[in-house]
Amino acid sequence: MTAATAAAFVPADVAHDGRAAKLGMWIFLATELLFFGGLLVAYAYARTHWPEGFAIASRRTDVVLGTVNTGVLLTSSAVIAFAVACAEDPAQRRWTARALALTAVLGVVFLAVKGVEYAHEWREHLFPLAGFALADVAGAGLFFLLYFVMTGLHALHLLIGIAGVCVFAGATRIAKPWATAPRVEAMALYWHFVDVVWILLYPLLYLVERHA
Amino acid sequence: MKHACLRDHARALAVAWAALLALMLASLGSAYLRLGAGNAAVGLAIAVIKSAIVVWLFMRLRTSSATVRIVAATALATLLLLIGLASVDYATRPVEPAAYELPRQTPSLAGARPVQGAR
Repeated sequence: MTAATAAAFVPADVAHDGRAAKLGMWIFLATELLFFGGLLVAYAYARTHWPEGFAIASRRTDVVLGTVNTGVLLTSSAVIAFAVACAEDPAQRRWTARALALTAVLGVVFLAVKGVEYAHEWREHLFPLAGFALADVAGAGLFFLLYFVMTGLHALHLLIGIAGVCVFAGATRIAKPWATAPRVEAMALYWHFVDVVWILLYPLLYLVERHA
Repeated sequence: MKHACLRDHARALAVAWAALLALMLASLGSAYLRLGAGNAAVGLAIAVIKSAIVVWLFMRLRTSSATVRIVAATALATLLLLIGLASVDYATRPVEPAAYELPRQTPSLAGARPVQGAR
């Protein structure tokens, strides 16, 4: 890369650019919160109207894989927070790249486990389609509709996050001038938000009632 | 950031990570207790605490600028406001199954529970 093209990617006022990147990401995440908020309202409505159906349907989700996945995502958040801390010291560039790569790997592990769960649920006829296993339980169809929409949208967000984190991992590794610490932090903000969404989904989908 | 400073930072992150996993296991355990409506309350309360740890420490709201904090607070307040208004709307309406739903999946609750305004 020539000096001229490098300069085009690095604004003159780096500190100002860093603040703008983080503020921009926070504003984007505010809109994302309201996007998932609509689904939370739909869930609250359905669960308060058919509490028994939700309890029966929730017991059919795989709580072991759900808990493992929650642990994987919480760990990935801690790892990318470590990457952000490393990114602030140019001497720790390699550790930044490694932590970002590990974050992406944990994201892929999450999606793989989620895929195993979906396959399991498909075999048990838990997709709310013709031949739905809980067709006689009022509200169970709504639970699994919300389950697949919420986890599906979460998985899509995670996939985008994995792609973004991979780009930053590669760029940091080869010391691209545009991969500045504040931009790595803005990327991490998105990753943490996707983690927060899962933190909320975990008790709502897997833990309605496990006794009885 | 100096090396020693980075080490302290990493230790703080590790403590937060351990707390998150402990809260996750507490949440899992609470689901196996008979708490009635308390099951949902405990599950949600733990989720809110975990989210607060992630937002406060990992997303660094603790040390963020006033502008960022205002954005975060506005987002949360708007979410709660819209959830509240939507709940008022749905709480005062009878349930009518949509055309695509099986009758057994969403039976009308109008007979089982008196709904104000329903005739």
